Amino acid sequence: MSRYSQDSYENGGERIVENPYAKTKVRRVEYQRGPIDMPFFLLTLIILIIGVIMVLSASFARAYYASGTPTRYFTRQMLFAISGVALLYAASLFPVSFYRRMAMPSLYVSIFLLALVLVIGSSGGGAKRWINLGFTTFQPSEVAKISVVLSFAHMICVFKDKMKTFKYGVLYFGIILAIIVGLLCLEPHISASLIIVAVGAIMMFLGGTNPKWFILGLVILVVLAFILFNTMGYVSGRITSWLDPFSDSTGDGWQIIQSLYAIGSGGLTGLGLGQGRQKYLYLPEEHNDFIFSVYCEELGFVGAVLLLLLFAMLICRGYWLSIHCRNRFGSLVIAGLTSLLAIQVVLNVAVVTNLVPCTGISLPFFSYGGTALWIQLVEMGVILSISRDIPLKRSKKKDGVEEK
Amino acid sequence: MVNPENNNWHRPDSKMIGRTLFLMVVCGILCFVVLFIRLYKIMIVDHDFYENQAISQQTRETTVAASRGTIYDRNGNALAISATAYNIYISPYEINYYDENIQYIASGLSEILGVEYDSIVEKSENTESWYQVISSKVESEVADQVRELINEGESTDGNGKAVKGLKGVHIEVTSKRYYPYSTLACHVIGFVGTENTGLEGLESVYNSYLEGTDGSVVRLSASNGIELLFENYENYNDAIDGSDLNLTLDVTVQNIAERYLEQAVEDNMIRNGGCVIVMDVNTGEILALACANEYDLNNPFILSDEDYEELAPLKEQEDQTEYNNELRNRRLAMWRNMAISDTYEPGSVFKIITMAMALEDGVVTEDSNFYCGGSMEVLGRGGVPLNCWKRAGHGNQTLKEAAMHSCNIAFVNIGLKVGAQRFYYYVDSFGFWNKTGIDLAGETSTRGLWWSDEVFEDPNNLSQLAAASFGQTANVTPIQMITAVSAACNGGYLMEPYIVRDITDPDGNVVYSKQPTVVRQVISEETSRTVCEILEAVVGEEGGTGKNAYVAGYRIGGKTGTTTKTAYEVETGKREYMVSFCGVAPMDDPQIAVLLVLDNPAPMSESGVYISGGAMAAPYVGKIMSEVLPYMGIEPIYNTEEEALLDVTVPLLVGDTVESAMASLTEKGFDFKVVGEGTTVTDQVPNANAEISAGSTVIIYADSEKRTDEVTVPNVMGMTFANAQKTLASYGLFMETSGALPTNSNITVSNQSVAGGTKLPYGSVVSVTLVDETSLGFY
Repeated sequence: MSRYSQDSYENGGERIVENPYAKTKVRRVEYQRGPIDMPFFLLTLIILIIGVIMVLSASFARAYYASGTPTRYFTRQMLFAISGVALLYAASLFPVSFYRRMAMPSLYVSIFLLALVLVIGSSGGGAKRWINLGFTTFQPSEVAKISVVLSFAHMICVFKDKMKTFKYGVLYFGIILAIIVGLLCLEPHISASLIIVAVGAIMMFLGGTNPKWFILGLVILVVLAFILFNTMGYVSGRITSWLDPFSDSTGDGWQIIQSLYAIGSGGLTGLGLGQGRQKYLYLPEEHNDFIFSVYCEELGFVGAVLLLLLFAMLICRGYWLSIHCRNRFGSLVIAGLTSLLAIQVVLNVAVVTNLVPCTGISLPFFSYGGTALWIQLVEMGVILSISRDIPLKRSKKKDGVEEK
Repeated sequence: MVNPENNNWHRPDSKMIGRTLFLMVVCGILCFVVLFIRLYKIMIVDHDFYENQAISQQTRETTVAASRGTIYDRNGNALAISATAYNIYISPYEINYYDENIQYIASGLSEILGVEYDSIVEKSENTESWYQVISSKVESEVADQVRELINEGESTDGNGKAVKGLKGVHIEVTSKRYYPYSTLACHVIGFVGTENTGLEGLESVYNSYLEGTDGSVVRLSASNGIELLFENYENYNDAIDGSDLNLTLDVTVQNIAERYLEQAVEDNMIRNGGCVIVMDVNTGEILALACANEYDLNNPFILSDEDYEELAPLKEQEDQTEYNNELRNRRLAMWRNMAISDTYEPGSVFKIITMAMALEDGVVTEDSNFYCGGSMEVLGRGGVPLNCWKRAGHGNQTLKEAAMHSCNIAFVNIGLKVGAQRFYYYVDSFGFWNKTGIDLAGETSTRGLWWSDEVFEDPNNLSQLAAASFGQTANVTPIQMITAVSAACNGGYLMEPYIVRDITDPDGNVVYSKQPTVVRQVISEETSRTVCEILEAVVGEEGGTGKNAYVAGYRIGGKTGTTTKTAYEVETGKREYMVSFCGVAPMDDPQIAVLLVLDNPAPMSESGVYISGGAMAAPYVGKIMSEVLPYMGIEPIYNTEEEALLDVTVPLLVGDTVESAMASLTEKGFDFKVVGEGTTVTDQVPNANAEISAGSTVIIYADSEKRTDEVTVPNVMGMTFANAQKTLASYGLFMETSGALPTNSNITVSNQSVAGGTKLPYGSVVSVTLVDETSLGFY
């Protein structure tokens, strides 16, 4: 039980002491933080449950062939999901001011970790992306994503009207993004760079940066992409296999073709949960980046549309919460994290359906990976924490407190 | 840069809310709409394409072989059957994947299957492969041994854990073709290749009926080829077994025909083989068809030992091309069905046709007279006279006598009376220019081997017509010849010969049935009756050239044929002969025709047999008739004269009183001699049921020991019946006869079953073949 001012919606639930300079005494009121936003929470939970079940379905074949234990991946993922929900709830308990205080330090920690991974990271698939924690590994880039959202939100709040200027609206943010992207490119980790740049740009856009800079940024991006395409072999290969995956069906085109086979096989209603065939060592990364392909194969177009509707509802609810948030920082964080979620979901589905060139983007709440799942759930927890301070009903609480 | 303590809590402004709304529309709605459209395209619009692609990579199909149909003869004897056999193969991929011991596998398989150890190891090195056959079509006992080897082998579960039972050695069920009669009717039945597809004979012609339709089992499998876990998608297409052929062929008749063909080839020292056809005159059904170049259907690629001996020098050559070519040629020659694929000049057998057309056109009658002075002039021969085979000439003859004598001069005159145009009309009508339509592969068409109409019908050159009238320089296949002769004898109906009577599917439904097919009526029934009468005279009457085909008790007709190979002689300058005989019986109601053609007999100096159809072919046709007619239920009717000359069965006398034994022997026309003083017969020579010539002396032992010593067989070749019987008796031997009945002293022994000089127990029976010496000549 704590006491809050009338203004508590706007200051992120921060407990403020009586204003000593006030002419009239503000009557102290007792204010308890509101409940988390149930629709958002339930949507997250439903998607999470479906995701964990899909990990079982998608992974049992490979798990069996590799280790003899079909439930190997599933068991781990389930433990991470259960503990992840606990983390989500814990994150929802911290007040917004806590996140605001953490905003800048988290950015520094992220940059440190991104540098660290280049030194002590464990390699996989030609890239150094993971830090080994002993019981599990994690990608610093996942931490970087949330820290960019938090720090940019904070900076925007601080810069306020100066956002319109180049120095404040573009340069500072640009420097931070350049550092992070630079470190990520050393791993290398193109997809994470893309996501972080996109999220960063969205934050700037929300913060009021002049749209002309985005046009300029887009031009730079195209030029960069063109250079990458011409200099880095593995990038150009992916572009070729995107345009015509069947031109090299056993090489670069293999995984996208297998993904299309899986999705296409699903038809209207799918082969039935667990009945998919492409996961039998045809589809690479079937419980990871391509888990949505297995989902489509087994549950069909109907299942795919339902799942994407759930995601869309979750995302729209996130923006809805952002719009209704009564303080700027919270609103920006929710919008940022929601956009992060949206980018990852849309990009993942776009990749597995060959809408965009193949790159390793996991599907939130679905793809196998413990720490990534934790971080995603914590992000949801942060949103839910902020949601506690949003008056969901236009009741008396709308204006905060009852004058008595 | 930014001081986090510098808290500035503000409400979001309207511009920010506007931008958030914009994001909500873009990220929360528009992007998803795009994804829905994309998914709709892949999952609904292109669903079939992707599904087919996926299924084709996910499934592995295993063939379930259909069982090949059985070939039965007309009485239901199986001539070709399929039985289960097993292919043993290894999967090097799995051996490698499960880390199995190749030494164990290779040594085990090499011991069981007799395959070289090294070759198995070599095959196992191709670890990409799932299928390397080690041994195909092995018997079930061998497969059982392999199964034991598999069960005892050590393997792993793919994760390093040891388990029992090899996963890289497999047994595949297949079927193997067996031919229970091995060489019997080999040229008719044919054989199958390794894939159980018919390569020759009926196996080839009726392959589509016999082979059935293979079934399949489609199973899903993982990318590494291992069957899916927990997956129940299996698609079975049942195999449809092949249908069974029911032939017109009769194993018994075929056996008889083959036995005498072989004997004819051996006795006459035939160098290029021969063939025999037994046909149902009225229906065109083939009862037997055989060629001398027989081979074992169970091992159709194995040549004779002589062939391999001759090929040995070629095999040692560095360059194997010549050897392989020769090997191939010899195999093809061995498989060649001469009866339908080769042509020959029928010679005098063709006189049946000349006679039939002349009678039908009414240009000659039975009473017509023909004079033969030994030679005659023919327009177009450039003054070279045409000679009769009997240079002295046959003098004045009726049509019947001309046929009996096989007089060339008479038949040239008959041919000239018919005229070239009508002659060719009949040649065509009798089916000599078209394939007979017999349901065997490789029948030769002959129209191109005859002269063109213009040449043949040239009024200024009658030499072709003259030659064709007695069957010289005309080329026909044996099947055409017998079909035409059948037409001449069966009332004039040219039948389509056939060998498959019907085909029944595995459920017993008749899916194909052949009815006797009349191609056309060539001559009237009346003409046919006259032809039959005359042909019977050729065999049955005194002076007939076909006497050697005579079988006591049966009314057999026929015609001999002897020709030189004109084309071959022109080409090489060497003279080779072709001898044949076509017989028909019984002549009062013709049932069967038998044609025996023998290619290139050795000269008389070597074989001891005069080169002619009458001496070389007719006796064997007679023998075939003598066995086939009783088998077909046609009872012999003997005249009294014949009955006295027939072999008689010795009765069982042991145990009888001497008196009653003497009485029963007398009754049967035997002489007898009693040895010993007793009153009861204690032994007899020869033993009961022996068939011996009439009038032989049977020895009865009454309380006396039977002679058991061995005697030397005398040479009775060339002796008359009476002399031979007497000579053999003097050695204590008995005689059994076949061939011509010893109606006159011209009948002599042409062959004896046990050669002179051989030792035989006292009282043994020697078989002899009797032949009419006067019928020897070039006709």
